[in-house]
Amino acid sequence: MIVGEQKPITEIIEIIAPYKQLLILGCGTCVKTCFAGGEDEVATLASMIRLAFKKDSKEIKIAEQTVERQCENEFIQEAAQNIAKNDAILSLACGAGVQAIAKRFPKVPVLPGINTTFIGIQEQHGIFTEECQGCGNCGLATFGAICPITRCSKKLLNGPCGGSQNGKCEVNANIECAWQLIIDRLTQLGQLSNLRTYIPPKNWRTSISGGPRKLIREDHII
Amino acid sequence: MSTTEISSEIKLTIYHCNNAFGNDITHNIIDKEKINLKFINMACSSMVKDVFILRAFESGSDGVLVLVCREEGCRYVEGSKRAKKRVERVKKLLDEIKIDPKRLSFFNVSPDNKDATLKIIKEAVINIKNIGPLYSF
Amino acid sequence: MTNISNLQKILKEGKFAVTGECGPPRGANTQIINKKANLLKGYVDAVNVTDNQTAIVRMSSIAASAHLIKAGCEPVMQMVVRDRNRISLQSDILGAWSLGIKNILCLSGDHQTFGSQPDALNVFDIDSMHLLRTVKNMRDEGKDMSGFNLDDPPRMFIGAAANPFADPFEYRVIRLAKKIDAGADFIQTQCIYNMDRFTKWIKLAHEEGLTEKVYILAGVTPLKSSGMAKYMKNKVAGMDVPESVIKRMEGVPKEKGAEEGIKICLETIAKLRETKGVHGIHIMAIEWEEKVAEIVQKAGLTPRPLS
Repeated sequence: MIVGEQKPITEIIEIIAPYKQLLILGCGTCVKTCFAGGEDEVATLASMIRLAFKKDSKEIKIAEQTVERQCENEFIQEAAQNIAKNDAILSLACGAGVQAIAKRFPKVPVLPGINTTFIGIQEQHGIFTEECQGCGNCGLATFGAICPITRCSKKLLNGPCGGSQNGKCEVNANIECAWQLIIDRLTQLGQLSNLRTYIPPKNWRTSISGGPRKLIREDHII
Repeated sequence: MSTTEISSEIKLTIYHCNNAFGNDITHNIIDKEKINLKFINMACSSMVKDVFILRAFESGSDGVLVLVCREEGCRYVEGSKRAKKRVERVKKLLDEIKIDPKRLSFFNVSPDNKDATLKIIKEAVINIKNIGPLYSF
Repeated sequence: MTNISNLQKILKEGKFAVTGECGPPRGANTQIINKKANLLKGYVDAVNVTDNQTAIVRMSSIAASAHLIKAGCEPVMQMVVRDRNRISLQSDILGAWSLGIKNILCLSGDHQTFGSQPDALNVFDIDSMHLLRTVKNMRDEGKDMSGFNLDDPPRMFIGAAANPFADPFEYRVIRLAKKIDAGADFIQTQCIYNMDRFTKWIKLAHEEGLTEKVYILAGVTPLKSSGMAKYMKNKVAGMDVPESVIKRMEGVPKEKGAEEGIKICLETIAKLRETKGVHGIHIMAIEWEEKVAEIVQKAGLTPRPLS
């Protein structure tokens, strides 16, 4: 899923300052799961903004809605009426959702209410970890399904570096050394030989380095 | 400003677990204290969502007290622990919007010790009276 | 100008090599480089020039290497893959060769969060293994990474780092073999305080036949004080300072700390000279270049063959 984290309330209050009628639009898929932008977070944020504004004797009207996914037209459409009634949209979706809304509603200011942090998993309730950078050219077969591009602080394809000690990364003792994990797992799978050979430099053209990416599925275009 | 003068203006919302104490406590308090007390009974304190606490403030409460069972006495195992985490989180949120987090308090209580529960409620009332109304305009 | 570096010549002739280190200044002051060069000249065969070590901005290793050549010292230019993509790295290798720099040490580089500008974007387009192969392909095939035939390709003597004290231990020898395959002619190790672990590592390397394929220069850093020993143990990534070394440093009065540090260093060097598969030493006297001459002399490693 896409993991996100709500922006600090002070920043949100600053970016919504010019508007009198605000729609806080939640997204019911990824960011709901990571407690950043589902119905509950929309309601909490709306309440906080109202309290904060009242304290400063400022006025604002806040509408609340959450759609299933802000990255799909069918769901965005459900919010169209509400969007038309407000001065601005504070989207609690990931960066993709924010831009999807902006594309469909050219005249309405759309503001981000969360910081999109990474593509990851919920490792345990309340703990989210980054697992994928969307490089567009998956090499997990070689690395025992542990991504060195994402999980090694130096993106090493022929690691580990000299900073790996006791299974921890040199950057921070809270970071597991991805290469220790890769070696342990490949040893367990009997596939350590994957690493004896030189792994050539990565072709980054499929990543963001190649410019904004686009996927076209002819078979689904009517 | 003395506490007696403002006491009638002060409102305290108490979220509590159904199992934490019986109704007699609420009557007991209401008889004795001149304060707008609102008791909200929940099936389990873990149902205290962030937004419920915030909305209590929005609807005029000057303080919120969350009373939950002892951790080891929770019928739903993790309910009291979850409630504690929610309250800690909302305290942070209140601080961010410059509302004194002391307006929100949290205690573990036991149905076997009603005197202790009464004492906690009374102290919370004094605490909120001392802090004063949330909006002074 | 001969294409073969002093360092390469000495190692090829089977002589015990000695290299030193020079950290470029945090500024454009060339006098600092000249001062360090004068302290090292005649006592080491080549001098490592660090590349923004610990991710702190300093004069570039290429420029500082060029200044060292002028001052009469042979540089080993360090190059990390942290800050430059493959285009920039290759371009700088061409530039370095054109300035007479004949040795290169290919490294990953300390992560930028350690440095003075942790907000920086890191690059890591290629890793140190790829850099080794790139320099080797330039030298042996005359081609850049795109396969383009270079006009007067650089023919550098190629070094890599190895850290016998990092984990996982068993994999360290596999990685050494990979570095040799990728192009390493010589290896410089992390500073050695834990002789037992180093001995174990080089024994494994020897058994794999790796010490015949590559020259290994064992790293040493003289300790100035017990405080420094503890700092190295706790704060420096990939370092292994055993408790016994710390105790020994603590066991002497403060004013004798430096003397004791040098004594430990000399004992380590003596053991290393007896160790099969060690072809030389790399003395990293961090901001203590004035002691290098003393260490080399007391170790009985003077005069240097080509000075």
